[in-house]
Amino acid sequence: MTDYIPQDYQPLLFQLVLALGFIIFTILITHVLGPRLKNAAKDAPFECGIESVGDARAPLAVRYFLIAILFVLFDVEIIFMYPWAVNFLKLGWFGFVEMLFFVTFLMAGFYYIIRKGVLNWEND
Amino acid sequence: MYPILFLSFSGLITLFLGFFQEGKWVKPATILFLAIASISAFIDWNKPGAYFFNMLQVNNFNLLLSLVILITAILIVAISDNFKEIEYAHSAEYYAIMQFSLVGAIMMTNFQSLIMLFLGVEILSVSMYVLTGTDKRNLRGNEAAIKYFLLGAFATGILLFGIAMIYGGVGAFEIDAISGTLASNQAQSLFLYIGLVMLLIGLLFKLAAAPFHFWTPDVYEGAPTIFTLFMATIVKTAVVFALYRILHQSFQNMHLSWSYILAGCIALSLIIGNLSAVKQISFKRMLAFSSISHAGFLLLGLLHVSKTADKSLLFYSVSYLLASTSAFGVLLALKNERTENGRSNENISVFKGLATRSPFLSAVLIISMLSLAGIPLTGGFWSKFYVLTDAANDQFFYLIVLALLLTAVGVYYYFKPIITVFEKSDIQEAITINPIFKIIFVLTTLGTLVLGLFPDLLYGMI
Amino acid sequence: MDILGLLKNMTITHWSFYIVSMLTLFGALGTIMSKNPIHSVIYLILTFFSLSAHYIMLNAQFLAAVNIIVYAGAIMVLFLFVVMFLNLREENEELPKNSILIAASIVGGIIGITLIAAIRQTQIEKVNPYSFNTKTGLVETLGSLLFNKYLLPFELVSVLFLIAMAGAVMLGKREKGERHF
Repeated sequence: MTDYIPQDYQPLLFQLVLALGFIIFTILITHVLGPRLKNAAKDAPFECGIESVGDARAPLAVRYFLIAILFVLFDVEIIFMYPWAVNFLKLGWFGFVEMLFFVTFLMAGFYYIIRKGVLNWEND
Repeated sequence: MYPILFLSFSGLITLFLGFFQEGKWVKPATILFLAIASISAFIDWNKPGAYFFNMLQVNNFNLLLSLVILITAILIVAISDNFKEIEYAHSAEYYAIMQFSLVGAIMMTNFQSLIMLFLGVEILSVSMYVLTGTDKRNLRGNEAAIKYFLLGAFATGILLFGIAMIYGGVGAFEIDAISGTLASNQAQSLFLYIGLVMLLIGLLFKLAAAPFHFWTPDVYEGAPTIFTLFMATIVKTAVVFALYRILHQSFQNMHLSWSYILAGCIALSLIIGNLSAVKQISFKRMLAFSSISHAGFLLLGLLHVSKTADKSLLFYSVSYLLASTSAFGVLLALKNERTENGRSNENISVFKGLATRSPFLSAVLIISMLSLAGIPLTGGFWSKFYVLTDAANDQFFYLIVLALLLTAVGVYYYFKPIITVFEKSDIQEAITINPIFKIIFVLTTLGTLVLGLFPDLLYGMI
Repeated sequence: MDILGLLKNMTITHWSFYIVSMLTLFGALGTIMSKNPIHSVIYLILTFFSLSAHYIMLNAQFLAAVNIIVYAGAIMVLFLFVVMFLNLREENEELPKNSILIAASIVGGIIGITLIAAIRQTQIEKVNPYSFNTKTGLVETLGSLLFNKYLLPFELVSVLFLIAMAGAVMLGKREKGERHF
């Protein structure tokens, strides 16, 4: 019997360490190697653009948040599909019908969102 | 069991009916769906057992509870008059969410596994947060929704933590398994105690019992009246019977530990609810504090593990449902009375001169107030009587005395609207009442009186 | 107590547990102690990642993945979004009152002490490494439980999603004639 133990994740850990190490290394090395220049024009957010006016934290249309919330909901829905897909053959038609009900509900919700015109940004 | 499955689909259908002929059919369809759901509950009549891998407990008493919840929902939907007081009303969504929330309420009364309890609480409370904030242009409504959501989400979190602790202590979610473990072991894991306290905190918050009541007045006042009614009736009933299942059917062996917590909550709820209600000007705020004191009475029915506890709790819930529906319904019927700022007048002063303007409405209001106060010949009297006789034993004698004393205080503030009804008012024009409202009022008032005159009709039947 | 001896006897599992636990606590403390809300959010993401590491050590790989995808990925981004656009400036920042701080630490302390007492009192059964099924907690086992025993809760979760969807759309939708900004 094969064992499924956390040690299986060792390569992942190595990769994480390597990736993080590379990032930290490059960040540090650019500071050491690069020339240092400091003046008002260099520190501006857009060095060659239009002069920035006002605060960066302006109120945003609520639609962005709406889309973000809907994204989270569908994200969680997709998560449920993963254990189902792994067990797909074992569960057979029974599991298929179960998932069909689940997805039907959420797709009905999706259709409702479209009918309600939430995703329509042009005309309202 | 079947109402849960049916209402999930009918809610979805209602959501889409809103796009069809400008949502003309949404309200009749909702009443029809609720009626079908009530009938479908009877498929399980006399078929007790656990269904869906021990997730749902079906028996005749649970079926009766679902029926009570569904019939109350029918009454509420019937007096819901298409939400004209809300700017930008989305009535299809409101009715759909109400049906979905009933799924949660029925889950909370019929659960066998604590997972189902959590999911039911979550479904019911998320719907309530949304319904509280439906009047988007009303700042008070927004404030209420935010308050309810933040505090409620926290309470649900504590409830879930409690369930996890109980699982840690017992190793099972099923309430039968929990009571079995409790009966066989003498020394219990400390996790069980912590878990039970956290579970109680979560549920007592939803019940609006003191000291977890701080959201109640603001939320009851800020929410549109129809949803306040929904909160006061259906949420309360569902939570009380969830507590009944937990305390009396799974933790009955730990009675000594939880009865003291409950006794403290009862004393606080009765004192805070009754004494704060005295000074209120707003009718909805007054009913909010009265609902806190009624939460105290409902908990009093849970205090003692007895064979009649379920009967008296059901009787109390039904009479409270009927009286609340009449009281809030009268306020809804008067929603065309405006204050200076153009909003509906929800103060007690709105009833001024009601005796001459509409004798029918004043009779409905008076009987509902008498029932809430617990005056004899109304259902409220018998409900208090049964609950108090259940709780009466030597251990908590002082609680009974406190409850009786504070009932006397209650009589004072419930009589304020009654006296206002007979005051003279400048406005003399008669009030026209929608025929549906009339039918509902006749039903609820008759129900209150019948329960008051022949309590055995319901109490003996269960 | 012989701390050096204890340190010598620690296996790699112990080491990783202690390191990850320290990271978790550091992240959690940073979340509540940093003044800048954006720093709080980033600390919270760190906490989620180290919690995921805990899940992996407990062999609950699916939970670890979900924790990163949903919490650290989606929900924290939403958080950051909200915080960035909420116009939180230094001057109108309100510090919590001292009385609230004291009350909160008393309540938190009591809960902490009770939990520690409960853990100390409980006898945790030792797992036999030879008979232990290492597939416990993997996606496959979780899936077959979710789609058999927990079938009804799973299906009813879709009702919860639908309520959330309808509620978000209903409350968040811009109505005809409302100001556009």
